[in-house]
Amino acid sequence: MNEIVLETKALTKYYGSTLAVDHIDLKIPRGCICGFVGRNGAGKTTAIKLMLGLLRPTAGLSRLLGCDSSALTPAIRQRIGYVTEGHRLFRWMSIGGLEKFQRAFFAKQWDDKFFADMIEYFELSKKQKIKHLSNGQRAQVSLAFALAPNPELLIMDDPTLGLDAAIRRQFLEGMIELIMRQGRTVLFSSHILGDVERVSDRIVVIDKGVLRANCSLEQFQKAIKKAILSFADSAPDEVNIDGFLHCKRSEKGLELTLVGTDDEEIAEWAKSAGAENYRIVKMNLEDQFIEFTAPANHRRLFQWEER
Amino acid sequence: MRFSALLRKELRECLPWLLLAAIVLLVFGGFFLRAETYYESDRHYSRLSAGTVVDHYQLTFYPTLNLTGPWLFCLSIGLGLVLGIRQFWIPHFTRTWPFLLHRSVSRKTILTAKLTAALVACVISLGPVWIGLYWYANRPEVFAIPQTPRVFIEGWIFIMLGLVAYLGTALSGLSTANWYTTKIFGLVLATIIIVTTLSQCTLAGIFAVIAVSIAILLVQIFDTFLRREY
Amino acid sequence: MPLWIQILPGSGEPIYVQVAEQISKAIARGELSSGDKLPAVRKLAAELVINPNTAARAYSRLEQAGLVTTKTGSGTFVSDPKLRRTDAADINMLTERMDTLITRGLNLGLEAQDLISLFESRLAKFGNKSKKQEEEK
Repeated sequence: MNEIVLETKALTKYYGSTLAVDHIDLKIPRGCICGFVGRNGAGKTTAIKLMLGLLRPTAGLSRLLGCDSSALTPAIRQRIGYVTEGHRLFRWMSIGGLEKFQRAFFAKQWDDKFFADMIEYFELSKKQKIKHLSNGQRAQVSLAFALAPNPELLIMDDPTLGLDAAIRRQFLEGMIELIMRQGRTVLFSSHILGDVERVSDRIVVIDKGVLRANCSLEQFQKAIKKAILSFADSAPDEVNIDGFLHCKRSEKGLELTLVGTDDEEIAEWAKSAGAENYRIVKMNLEDQFIEFTAPANHRRLFQWEER
Repeated sequence: MRFSALLRKELRECLPWLLLAAIVLLVFGGFFLRAETYYESDRHYSRLSAGTVVDHYQLTFYPTLNLTGPWLFCLSIGLGLVLGIRQFWIPHFTRTWPFLLHRSVSRKTILTAKLTAALVACVISLGPVWIGLYWYANRPEVFAIPQTPRVFIEGWIFIMLGLVAYLGTALSGLSTANWYTTKIFGLVLATIIIVTTLSQCTLAGIFAVIAVSIAILLVQIFDTFLRREY
Repeated sequence: MPLWIQILPGSGEPIYVQVAEQISKAIARGELSSGDKLPAVRKLAAELVINPNTAARAYSRLEQAGLVTTKTGSGTFVSDPKLRRTDAADINMLTERMDTLITRGLNLGLEAQDLISLFESRLAKFGNKSKKQEEEK
């Protein structure tokens, strides 16, 4: 029903002997905002560069708007907006000069008024040179340049890294504005899970190059939960419940982190384990993400000495 | 329209170096030219009378422009190095490759724009000044003996060697080799070509070496640029 | 009174639920009366900076609870209180919340009578508004 605008199949990338991206399978449908999350160094930028044909995959394939990523034609590239990591633009150019440069590549697509309005909204002048802009201002300019050609597919690589809350909000507004136009799709990577929660339809989680989650945001948020159980004597040593991620033990209690376990299953297990009481706790997206991508032997880094 | 936008951008980036090279050649080239006029007569007449046979082609701007010539050579190589660095090394540091490469043009077009800009820059910055210096040197009141066409051609040979230096620098800049010894392959190759050119016996030999080496360098550059990862 | 909704992304409550709840509260407080038009989905999404689908889901949720009705082409309107359904699930949820309140109150040391007076005073605040609206009609 919905056309797939971004597709990868077993996408893999080795840097020498280091595995950066490990057999990623993605299918992003048209019309959604997809949040790409992962810890630092998880492989998000590598994956994005592979999708845009800036890197060549070691194995697997990637397709954007139906076209193979290693052979993206100029016509296809014209339909794809790309906000690069760090918003790196030509430092010696003025905003107006860069606008002229950009316009040459978009012919009828470029929305002059929209760009001018955005620059005015950001309180910038077209005469300013890129090198004289602060990081935040450069990000704003970068956003304006990405949105003015009205792209079908907008890919943003960590666009709000290091930026203040106001500018982050402007990026979200830009994304919402774009998605409301017919048939647009947005893929953005971010560390700010609050932003992802706010605007995303779908979430993709990458951890150490491996795809850990690829579903609607609602499914992800419903799937990861915590169950707190209390026991009369001591908690059972073994936890053999479906979807078990990890647990934290206290004297007479157990805090379980679970993925995809139904409430009924939890109730059943609690009963069979002899729990006195249990409750299922809601988690916010940030906690869910942290628990989901925590290492297998989930321990705290610091432990205070008891005196 | 897209190519001209790229070309304009590349030329604008070369502009300061282009102007600097032209001005330096004009000022210092002119200075050396004036200096040489004082020594010209002694040197020339004594050589001719000795009847020595020049057994190989020497790019020494004999009988005149002995200082101006080498100065043009240095500037040309220098300009080539700087342009190569500006177009192919600097984008790595400013991290602007991803932005440029995502423009809606083929990679070939991007590279062609860069090469065209460098060619134009080398030719129009040093070419007119060289023509001017040669013309001035040819005027009867400057040197008693008129300049030979050979001297004029030699100037252009030096400008072409500047392009060789540019291509070598470009190739080095594009190299994905990690270790610095292999990365400078392009520069080493350019140096070898230049030395080979300067030691040729005939004018035909010189042009052959330059033509073949530019062709080889261009093929390598295109291949590397199109395949490379950013 | 203008509609004001605050989104708390880190709260653990899905955003569409937060939006629906706050609109629901506004209706209960009388800030929105029956027949009032709610902002269009796109406008709400743009103002709150949330995904339009999320805004649409909030409205769906309200519609399922019978608090609003959507007329295709015209928009979403607050429904007539007399036409609002209350089914078993809603009553259950209400009972659950009441239990939470009572537990809290008792744990704080309040007596049953204190709880009743507190409840009545709060109800009066809501009641006043809807009474006023009735009188104005």
